Amino acid sequence: MSNFRFNNVFLHIFLIIAVFLISFPILYAFMVSTLDMNQVYTSPPKVRFGDNMIKNYTEAWNRSNMGRLLFNSAFISIVTALGKIILSISAAFAFVYFGDFKGKNIFFVIILITHMLPLPIRIVPTYQLMDNLNWLDTYYALTIPFFASATGVLLFRQFYLTVPESLLEASLIDGITPLRFLWSILVPLSKNNIVALFTIEFIWVWNQYLWPLVTTNSANVRVVQIGLKMLIPSDAQPEWNVVMAALIMGVIPPLIVYLTLQKSLVEGFALQQDK
Amino acid sequence: MTKKLLIVVLLLSLLVFGSVSSSAQDVIELEFWHAMSGGRTAAVERIVNGFNELHPDINVTAQFTGSYAETLTQGISAVRSGNPPHIIQVYEVGTQTMLDSEAIVPVYEIVGDQIDFGSVIQPISSYYSVGGQLYSMPFNSSTAMLYYNKDAFEEAGIDYTPTTWKDVEEVGLELIDSGAANHGLSFGWPAWIMEQMFAYHNELYANNNNGRDGRADEIYLDSEFGKHVISTWTDLVEKDVIAYGGREYSANQDFLAGEVAMLIQSTSSLSSIMESADFEVGTTFLPRFEGYGIGNSVIGGASLWVMQGHSDEEYQAVVEFFKYLSRTDVTIQWHKDTGYFPATNAAVKQLMDNQWFSDNPNYLTAFLQILSGVSTPASNGVLLGNFVEIRDITDTAIEKAFTGSMSPEAAIEEGAEEANTVLKDYTELFGN
Amino acid sequence: MNSKFSKKYTYLAYILLAPSIIIVGVFLIYPSIQSLYLSFYRTTPFGNRVIFTGFQNFTRLLTSDAYWNSLGRSLTFTAITVVLSLGISLLLAVLTNKNIRGAKIYKSLMIWPFAFSFAFAGTIWGVLLHPNVGIMSYYIELLTGFGFNWVSNGTAAFVLLIIASTWRMIGYNVIFFIAALQNVSPSLLEAAEIDGANGFTKFWRITFPLISPITFFLLVMNTLQVFFLTFGIVDVLTQGGPARATDIVTYKLFRDAFLSMRTGYASAQSIILFVIVAGITIFQFKYAGEKVFYQ
Repeated sequence: MSNFRFNNVFLHIFLIIAVFLISFPILYAFMVSTLDMNQVYTSPPKVRFGDNMIKNYTEAWNRSNMGRLLFNSAFISIVTALGKIILSISAAFAFVYFGDFKGKNIFFVIILITHMLPLPIRIVPTYQLMDNLNWLDTYYALTIPFFASATGVLLFRQFYLTVPESLLEASLIDGITPLRFLWSILVPLSKNNIVALFTIEFIWVWNQYLWPLVTTNSANVRVVQIGLKMLIPSDAQPEWNVVMAALIMGVIPPLIVYLTLQKSLVEGFALQQDK
Repeated sequence: MTKKLLIVVLLLSLLVFGSVSSSAQDVIELEFWHAMSGGRTAAVERIVNGFNELHPDINVTAQFTGSYAETLTQGISAVRSGNPPHIIQVYEVGTQTMLDSEAIVPVYEIVGDQIDFGSVIQPISSYYSVGGQLYSMPFNSSTAMLYYNKDAFEEAGIDYTPTTWKDVEEVGLELIDSGAANHGLSFGWPAWIMEQMFAYHNELYANNNNGRDGRADEIYLDSEFGKHVISTWTDLVEKDVIAYGGREYSANQDFLAGEVAMLIQSTSSLSSIMESADFEVGTTFLPRFEGYGIGNSVIGGASLWVMQGHSDEEYQAVVEFFKYLSRTDVTIQWHKDTGYFPATNAAVKQLMDNQWFSDNPNYLTAFLQILSGVSTPASNGVLLGNFVEIRDITDTAIEKAFTGSMSPEAAIEEGAEEANTVLKDYTELFGN
Repeated sequence: MNSKFSKKYTYLAYILLAPSIIIVGVFLIYPSIQSLYLSFYRTTPFGNRVIFTGFQNFTRLLTSDAYWNSLGRSLTFTAITVVLSLGISLLLAVLTNKNIRGAKIYKSLMIWPFAFSFAFAGTIWGVLLHPNVGIMSYYIELLTGFGFNWVSNGTAAFVLLIIASTWRMIGYNVIFFIAALQNVSPSLLEAAEIDGANGFTKFWRITFPLISPITFFLLVMNTLQVFFLTFGIVDVLTQGGPARATDIVTYKLFRDAFLSMRTGYASAQSIILFVIVAGITIFQFKYAGEKVFYQ
């Protein structure tokens, strides 16, 4: 028994060190965001908090137009996540509940193919396409091309295949229409999957970097990721305190989404594992 | 759920369509894209606001579009989608690209004799002229010079400023030995400093008279002189005298932090360095290699290009804006705010009359440097197709030599070979 | 599934599929084919001159040291990061999954890096390890005498990329490992304990096989994410340098496409990337089917 406790102490020490190493960068970012410029550039650097927090956050907010950045990021993340969810549910529903129809397999393969075509593989032509559609520097470019999702279709398809058949049989006897069945029976059942997909997609889109970098240029549609980069000037000493203040503000929304929906993320996923 | 969705959709349409704002009827709107970040954004705004106040019928909107490279990319895509701004600020390496773009209106064409370009100081006007005509409006011109930390020099007991690279080595070693600094010198924009060295010693950087008598298709990076430069530098890196400081301005931080006591950097950093340094800053001419010719340090920075696809009325408004830019008081303010050259002789004269230079001798250094040089094809600046990529290739070659992953000679040869391929590809596209 | 809606609703299936198919067709498949087309041409930045160059872009790429360097570095970087991050995450997940006090707190403090983008993660680590202001680089130099300067030292820059991406991926991996471990039935482990299996044997013989589907899934996901998303770190911090030490394929592609504006040369790189991704995907389907799938 004493051996057991001894092991536990070691385990705790180890975990505390691990947690510290993982969390320290975030703590440090926060710490820097409270310093003034002189403290940032003092040698040797120290672990300490300054009293410039409000000043730095105000400065970061104003200089980067943070309100707009946060709105833009939130907007495109929510729209894209919802778009993906709606399209994935529709497609998965079509694949599972309508028997065999002409072209079904080809359609399925077409959707799976998205998995093999990440953005860098088609970035030049997609960019040119946006250009031709006059979509550069608009929300369209940041949302619509990302509505299709192999992940989402597979996730919901897998789930529908596990839904007991008796449910559909009973509904068919009641003479239910397909859309009614989808909306009032399947969607509520897929709550966990929906939330899981939402969480993952929200964070994914929020953290997108390459695409907004090449397709946006005005402050109207600029997103948080690019706004942060623009705070780091190449021609002067970066004000790391202000940069970190902006960074902290820019990570709060995905952090909230992630931490609150984390349970569903695991459940929506665990469900997949059960079979 | 449906309601929420509806709200989202509504919001979407509002935002997308709401952002297309209507403009007042009689005011001519000019869009001006620039790459002036940090404190310079404010300096640009100041100019634009001053102009807009004077001209109620014209409204210039200055938009910061990222780094120079990003601004050029955005400009190109705007041209391709048929919606270019009126004015784009393009850095000097984009000059050939712009000339070949078939998307610009040469400045001399729209300006005619409304602005006296004869008053633009010579090295600047010759950089942006092709065949004696000014294609773009000089805006922010700079060159490179040597900054040094007077306090550190004093601490190390050094009572002279280096004029040759040999001096740099001596001074550097003394600085290190005395503990006044960890390293001697650092520099920003390595490829540009390399170009500076060529021009400064009257060596051509590429064939066809630096690309001014026809498209260049061969670079002289791996000439005897080029190899001498990179070997000397690499030797200094190995002796800890040079500390590599990155591709743009991050070397400034090493200088300001006292890590190095000398810095070769664009004159455009002068104001920001003077402001942030907690030691006395001195400036002097670029160091020379002994035994080579005398040319001139070359102009860097950016100029303003006028894009096709707008009405005559708008072009006249652009000319008004350029007239405002070349006003003596505006030129002087821009110079004081940033450290960029005052681009006209009148502005220089007034600055001298007001004793600005005698009170702020650091602002004079670069000026004397370019005026003391000789104007030759080699010192007027090189024009290269796809210069952006060649800069990157040269930077990489210098980095490879400095980090020891290749010998300096091999690195510069490899770089020259890559650059030549780029030049040949470019020339092939234009069929001559 | 045998029951289904009657044939008269087949039209509805097409309508439901249409949006996905149209989007995939227009924004994914068509541009990908276009990539192939563009890779046979050379274009000026403004697109006002175009010449057909056949396979030149490909032969140039495949004979270019710079490209092989870039590819080699990307693969090395990805392999190291994925192995490190999966290993550390699994260890942490196993340890937190034990019945100890504060497990929940440990867990939540381990997973939050996932909310950070690669660009953000890079910014934080770039400052932590910054040659002038970084607290970690300062102590590293003080303790080891080695100056960790990622601005001038290629190896340091490469290590910085690995650290920042590993950190970011730990947040992602731990959460899935913990979920998988919670699905391992305790009765199995108890049975093994009665048979006298020690901790390690128990893990290796029982737990690991049970969580291998998720490990495999994470392996694929990590590989793709690290391979493609590290772009954010490189663009914010190193721009591929110094001396091309961090010139990963996605950054090189971006530089050639959007800075040097050589669209044909960049498109040829896209095609090579496609071959690599197709390889990974086929591998994935072959060994795991479509069982576990996530972005």
